[in-house]
Amino acid sequence: MAKHLTRKQVLAGALPVVAAAPLAKLAWPSTARGERSATHLGHAHMHTGHAAMIGAEVPAPGGPHAQDEVLLPPPPLPHEPGRVSEHWLTAIDRTIEVAQGVHFDAWTYNGTAPGPIIRATEDDLLRVHFTNAGSHPHTIHFHGIHPGKMDGVFETVLPGGSFTYEFPARPYGMHLYHCHATPLKKHIHKGLYGAFIIDPPKPRPRARELVMVMNGYDTDGDGENNFYTVNGRAFYYAKYPIRVRRGELVRVYLANLTEFDLINSLHLHGEFFRYYPTGSTDHFEYTDTVMLCQGERGILEIEFHNTGTFMFHAHQSEFAELGWMGFFDVRD
Amino acid sequence: MESGSLAARLGGAHWRLWALVPVLALVGAVSIFAATSNSLLDLVGQSPPPSDKLDIRRVEFHSGEIRIKVTNPQRDDLTIATVTVDDAVVPYRLEGDRTLGRLRSAEIVVPYDWVDGDPIKVGVTSSRGVETSKEVAAAFETPSASGRGFLGYGVIGFLVGILPVALGLAWLPSLRRASPQWLAAFMALTAGLLTFLALEALSEAIDLQAALPGGIGGTGLVLLGAASTYLLLTLLSRRFAQGGVVGGVALATLVAIGIGLHNLGEGLAIGTSFALGELALGTFFVVGFMVHNVTEGLGIATPIAERGRVGLGRLAALALIAGAPAIPGAWIGGFVTSDVLGVLFFAGAAGAALEVVVEVGRYVARQAPGGLSSSYVLGGYLAGIAVMYLTGLLI
Repeated sequence: MAKHLTRKQVLAGALPVVAAAPLAKLAWPSTARGERSATHLGHAHMHTGHAAMIGAEVPAPGGPHAQDEVLLPPPPLPHEPGRVSEHWLTAIDRTIEVAQGVHFDAWTYNGTAPGPIIRATEDDLLRVHFTNAGSHPHTIHFHGIHPGKMDGVFETVLPGGSFTYEFPARPYGMHLYHCHATPLKKHIHKGLYGAFIIDPPKPRPRARELVMVMNGYDTDGDGENNFYTVNGRAFYYAKYPIRVRRGELVRVYLANLTEFDLINSLHLHGEFFRYYPTGSTDHFEYTDTVMLCQGERGILEIEFHNTGTFMFHAHQSEFAELGWMGFFDVRD
Repeated sequence: MESGSLAARLGGAHWRLWALVPVLALVGAVSIFAATSNSLLDLVGQSPPPSDKLDIRRVEFHSGEIRIKVTNPQRDDLTIATVTVDDAVVPYRLEGDRTLGRLRSAEIVVPYDWVDGDPIKVGVTSSRGVETSKEVAAAFETPSASGRGFLGYGVIGFLVGILPVALGLAWLPSLRRASPQWLAAFMALTAGLLTFLALEALSEAIDLQAALPGGIGGTGLVLLGAASTYLLLTLLSRRFAQGGVVGGVALATLVAIGIGLHNLGEGLAIGTSFALGELALGTFFVVGFMVHNVTEGLGIATPIAERGRVGLGRLAALALIAGAPAIPGAWIGGFVTSDVLGVLFFAGAAGAALEVVVEVGRYVARQAPGGLSSSYVLGGYLAGIAVMYLTGLLI
């Protein structure tokens, strides 16, 4: 082609390419930059409410007393060796609302996840009647000291079947129970677990007693939790803060039964507490944050020095913002 | 034939009525199935639960809030329960119904202090606990449909569409002096670049449809888009044809239409990516597109170079046909964003470009010295693809 072209033609041919660059520079950048700087101005004045969600606006399921059964333990009984402490647990498949509007097909003991609080005094004879009304084989495995045949590992209870666990309650402390049927991960994350308190022979000082079981829910089955809660409902105690009195002894029986992301924690704002790991000795730590692996548990003893609204939550920010947070409302 | 004799017996009017029989029979069969479907399905087992995956169509960032547009792509109803931003449950307001029927949409408004330029993930969890999430590469203020934004997208469309095509058309005087072999080579080059554009558009359409929820039927949409423009252009070229082959300005018009449809898709892609924060629009990007698209002007100029004179007005019209669609494309992409439209546009561009390749091929086969197999034509075709590939690297 080149040899047919005159110089004028070459110039005409090059024109489009040569003209492109300066034209582009002239017309484009000013509009683009102008739009972006406007963004920053508008941004500075935004308003997004509190640093945390609290009260009526909180998306939590259930009414004001919906969690009392798993929050408030039955009163302790005096030491009376050989007394029979009887409990009835039934495994039930049940759809429960775990976060506002989110329904989870759970496996439960007695219809709630976590299940009912089992409480006995050391040297009681525990008798737990278990019926499996669910659609899969289940067991109850208690933490504590007991014979091998009462361990909830070998005596699988088929749907429709039943079994009675019987053993002396010991040692005193905060324990837990959960299903030990396989696949274990599935049976735990579906909701088969609960708190198991054994009181010491010498009673603990009188206190306002609370139970908190930390858990998570994988609602879409991808092996990751979509929500984290304490006692089973996301953000519940943010919507309904727990009311306590300043100076009174508050005792929290805390357990971690979170599946998938096994380590959980509790951090209390504005106050310190005595933490008794497992609660089976007098050994304690004075702190405001504790970390528990799955199956770990302990007892917190708090005396609030101040009135006000104090947050408590997992100190994994993600867990807190996916439901595991709440408030103490401390008043005189 | 037996049916023929039946037709004769039924007579003309009856025969037309007979056409309704399959329809009525179908209605009957469907109602019987609908009434008994539960017992029938029991024979083969239970249906799985609905997937409950939402289609998050668009995430917009405005001062102090995030707006999430969602559509229910599944047959079963879907209820929105909770909303998360970066794996944290957030309060939100709903514009539209909480429970969405099939292909129904709602908009979720989340008051949120988002961070300019940071990646962000939004999630919507259904009442059955299924979370659908969408990651945004970089959050930044979504341009609103202001006059200013309108103008901005218009300028972008002009720069990447009309201007380069018009500049490419300025090659016309040089082309007029070229020998027949070289002209054939340039015609083949046009075919090569159109083939490149067709494949590029098709691959874009297929990528986009893959991201669509199953209920919308992406592959059918691609075929529908491509077939309709292909057939439309076939129809047009028959209109234009003189003596069986389309040439000259008529062929140039076809090329311009094919390129125009492609630029519509291209404008849409630019507008969408920019609005969704997936694209850093810079000087370099725009210049890249301009250089890439200058070749398109050359493709339009070549058929004209061979035959007759054309006025400036006609040339301007061709430049507009080929380049102007980038402007509405950018507007639609920037302000509306619909992946369904994107699929249709790109598929349509692919169909149109392919049809024009066929027309150019016919023309070259008939008119070029040495026909389709001359070394000029083969070289030109390959050169067309290579030029598009190389200038495409600039973008």
